[in-house]
Amino acid sequence: MELLRIFGARLRALFRKRQLDHELEAELRAHLESLTDENIRRGMDPKEAAHAARREFGGVEQTKRLYRDQRGLPFLETLVQDARYALRMLRKSPSFAAVAVLTLALGIGANTAVFSIVNGVLLHPLPFANADRLVVVGESEDDRKPSTTSFATYEDWKTRSKSFEDLTLYRQWQPTLMAPDEPEQLIGLRVANNYFRTLGIRIAAGRDFAPGDDQPATRFVVILSHALWQRRFKSDPAIVGKPINLSGVTFTVVGVLPVNYESLIATDLRASGVEIWGALGYDAALRDACRTCRHLRGIGRLRPGVTVTQAAAELSAITYQLWKEHPTEFSSGRAIVMPVYEELLGGVSRTLYILLGAVGFVLLIACANLANLLLARATHREREMAMRAALGAGRARIIRQVLVENCSLAMAGGLVGLLLAYWMPEILSLVRAMNLPRLDQVRLDWHVLGFAFAIALLTGILSGVVPAIRMTKMNLQTALQQGARGSSLGGGGMRSFLIVSEIALSLTLLLGAGLLLRSLVRLVNVPSGFEPAHLLTLRVSPVGAWYAKDEPVRDYITRANERIRTIPGVLASGTSSQIPFGGNFDTTGLHIDGKMNANPALDPSAERYVISEGYLEAMGIRLLRGRDFTRRDAQTAEQVMLVNETAAREIWAGADPIGQHVHVGDPKSAPRTVVGIVDDVHHYTLDAAPTMQFYIPVLQTDTSDLVFAVRCAGEPSQIANTVHRAMRSVDETLPVYRVTPMSEYVAATTANRRLALILLGSFAAIALLLSVVGIYGVTEYTVAQRTREIGIRMALGAQSQEVLRLMLRQGLMLSSAGVALGTVFSFTMMGFLRSLVFGVAVTDPLTFLCAAAILTAAALLACWVPSRKVMSVDPIIALRHE
Amino acid sequence: MAPPRGEVLQGTLDLIVLQTLHAMGPLHGYGIAQRVQQVSEDLLKLNQGTLYPALLRLEQRGWITSKWGASENNRKAKFYSLTRTGRKQLLAETRSWERMTALMARLLGGTEGA
Repeated sequence: MELLRIFGARLRALFRKRQLDHELEAELRAHLESLTDENIRRGMDPKEAAHAARREFGGVEQTKRLYRDQRGLPFLETLVQDARYALRMLRKSPSFAAVAVLTLALGIGANTAVFSIVNGVLLHPLPFANADRLVVVGESEDDRKPSTTSFATYEDWKTRSKSFEDLTLYRQWQPTLMAPDEPEQLIGLRVANNYFRTLGIRIAAGRDFAPGDDQPATRFVVILSHALWQRRFKSDPAIVGKPINLSGVTFTVVGVLPVNYESLIATDLRASGVEIWGALGYDAALRDACRTCRHLRGIGRLRPGVTVTQAAAELSAITYQLWKEHPTEFSSGRAIVMPVYEELLGGVSRTLYILLGAVGFVLLIACANLANLLLARATHREREMAMRAALGAGRARIIRQVLVENCSLAMAGGLVGLLLAYWMPEILSLVRAMNLPRLDQVRLDWHVLGFAFAIALLTGILSGVVPAIRMTKMNLQTALQQGARGSSLGGGGMRSFLIVSEIALSLTLLLGAGLLLRSLVRLVNVPSGFEPAHLLTLRVSPVGAWYAKDEPVRDYITRANERIRTIPGVLASGTSSQIPFGGNFDTTGLHIDGKMNANPALDPSAERYVISEGYLEAMGIRLLRGRDFTRRDAQTAEQVMLVNETAAREIWAGADPIGQHVHVGDPKSAPRTVVGIVDDVHHYTLDAAPTMQFYIPVLQTDTSDLVFAVRCAGEPSQIANTVHRAMRSVDETLPVYRVTPMSEYVAATTANRRLALILLGSFAAIALLLSVVGIYGVTEYTVAQRTREIGIRMALGAQSQEVLRLMLRQGLMLSSAGVALGTVFSFTMMGFLRSLVFGVAVTDPLTFLCAAAILTAAALLACWVPSRKVMSVDPIIALRHE
Repeated sequence: MAPPRGEVLQGTLDLIVLQTLHAMGPLHGYGIAQRVQQVSEDLLKLNQGTLYPALLRLEQRGWITSKWGASENNRKAKFYSLTRTGRKQLLAETRSWERMTALMARLLGGTEGA
């Protein structure tokens, strides 16, 4: 407290310097005059009296100086002095200042930009109360990620476990908002009544779900997101209590969430942005509540003091016990507990930290470059520094002066760099279709500002310290004597070292970018099993009482497809319950006659597609053997199915599946006959092997999700409206939504890799540019320094070609050393990229050779341009050159 | 900053100034210097200039305040006076000083007796 008061007093004094000086002057004068008066009174003559007074008082100027040091903040004052001087120096050499500031702006800007992403996505605290105690719980197949669970198991967990303060459940829900003008499919969740209380979210208007809402009969209540309330209900202040029509059923709005609620939790990352929550409303008697009905996801809040490991151990033990009690209803009896943070952000955090590390290299390169520039300049400023030292500036004072100069540069660079962070939200929205969660949290805030300031300071000091120390090591006398004659500093070794390091770091970045580029090319060229180009997809929800039965749905599918096929430019059209990369998953157990396990849960399960005739043709999925579905595969005909190649191989292992009988879902259901084998499609990602898949005709089963796939001759966007209109004309009460070219779904699966590539690619480009500038600078400097020597050589008969070769050899040596060092360094770093690389080895020789070749070529070019000057050197002039 | 040799220690000077202001009431720098020399009977050789940084230090700490006024012989002078916290500080420092001197007296007295 007292320190603060003193600091405040001293700080205030800085701004009243002149007046305070004046007052001090007056006070001291009064003191001296009083002393003199006293001396005169004692009988001295005035002159003698004044002398004696001064003697008694001591040094007046010394007192003033002590007083001023006590009064202000001497450290700060000299700092400001230094900074002022620095700015004056920089104004005198604008080209140096421009290059330096630009170099730093690139380095600091890139770092700040990446940090702003890391800050928004990872560091910004999760919007839940005590988020560190929130965990995702689920049964698990692979012991790595929590999967879904069932209502029955959840109830058992809840009653038997002691680790959790609260356990809650949610499931996927996509209700259609039935508005007369524009029906809309919403992304929603059905949640247990304690969901928001477990997360620690308060409802902004209205009320939270209550236990009374959570029953099959009373579950027709919803809570809206703030955005949905604004968008579809015009921010109606009296919305609470009003009825809304969802998919033909009346629900009552009971609450609206606060505006800052981040909708992070969803059944699937791609389906984030949940806008509506309904009550789960399960009870044990419900058909969907069965123990094998694993379609629910669990979230728990740990009791204070309980660790994730403890909770996981308890839940695993309980689940194992449940398996013993219900042996036919579990395949493994394992459960997993994972912190919510890891579940939501664990996947992206690795990528982001890799990028943050990579951009750190860019900063190091910028530092090396600036240090290089400074070393070059140091030789010019030798005289100035020698003069200062001769006038009594201490070593520390000179070092400080240089560092302050450098930090001023870095601050300027940082300011320019901040612009990049400021525009980051816009830049991110330009690079659309990214799967990063929480991108809306990326903005320029105090953390980002602080980070930019800190790294600017760090850069200033890091790049300045070597040149600064070097400057103070000179020999005063020779420096003053030699003057403009050239340098006594040398510094050539240091500068070469910096260049070599720059090239080494650049090589690492180039290599990383190259590997990501090759991965992406590989990935894009992975056969997806269908033809995404020229393919339009549209979703429809058959909602309303009319579509409660199967027949009207089938009728709609048939009529809509017929109508679409009449549109000019449409080549084929078909319908499926789900499409690849669509974000749905629908796996069902397959029980094969003669291959059934005693425990049916251990039988294989596969991806289920309920399709109309024409779907395979529209998607471009190849039929390998057998036959496709036709209109004749109706309810009353033989029950049939198609399987994909992977299923055929894994289930029948070489035997012919065609003609085999399979019970789909329920082992006791009527069997289906396999009539054909189709090509595998990638359903989730391109970088994993395709899963087992099977198809059944929509005329023989029921489905509530419909996706139309329309193959067209031209661009899908051109006929999108026509197709949309055609479908509405079949039944205009049905909402048609997500009218999207298939290529966009495919692109979304590689979005994060593309972001990583774009960023790492830019870093590599900046690194290359900076290295080129660095080499150019060193060469130009060497040429200038050696003009005299070159003149002598040429006067003695050396050909200009030879001299050029001499200069190029220097560049080649530097770049080779850099490449060698970079190779060693890269091999230790590339392991980090393994999770992002696909289809190429991280030590891929081709990528490596390309990176090395690009770098060497750039280095030689940067060397050649300034070296050309020596070709035109006139020996006479060169010899006179100083 | 370490005090030049032969002069009073910084902490001691602070205490002397506080005590002087306590005894005499508001006083200007010259007055304080005179009083100190008078009381110490020139035992303390005070370089009068060093008084001013000390006064500023005490003011920054909030122990004394200053006000411009007219001196006895009608010169413009800055008058320093003790604040409430200054009074408290004086009391505290006097006590600790007394404890210290008592301790030293006991120790040194013991030496004499031996």
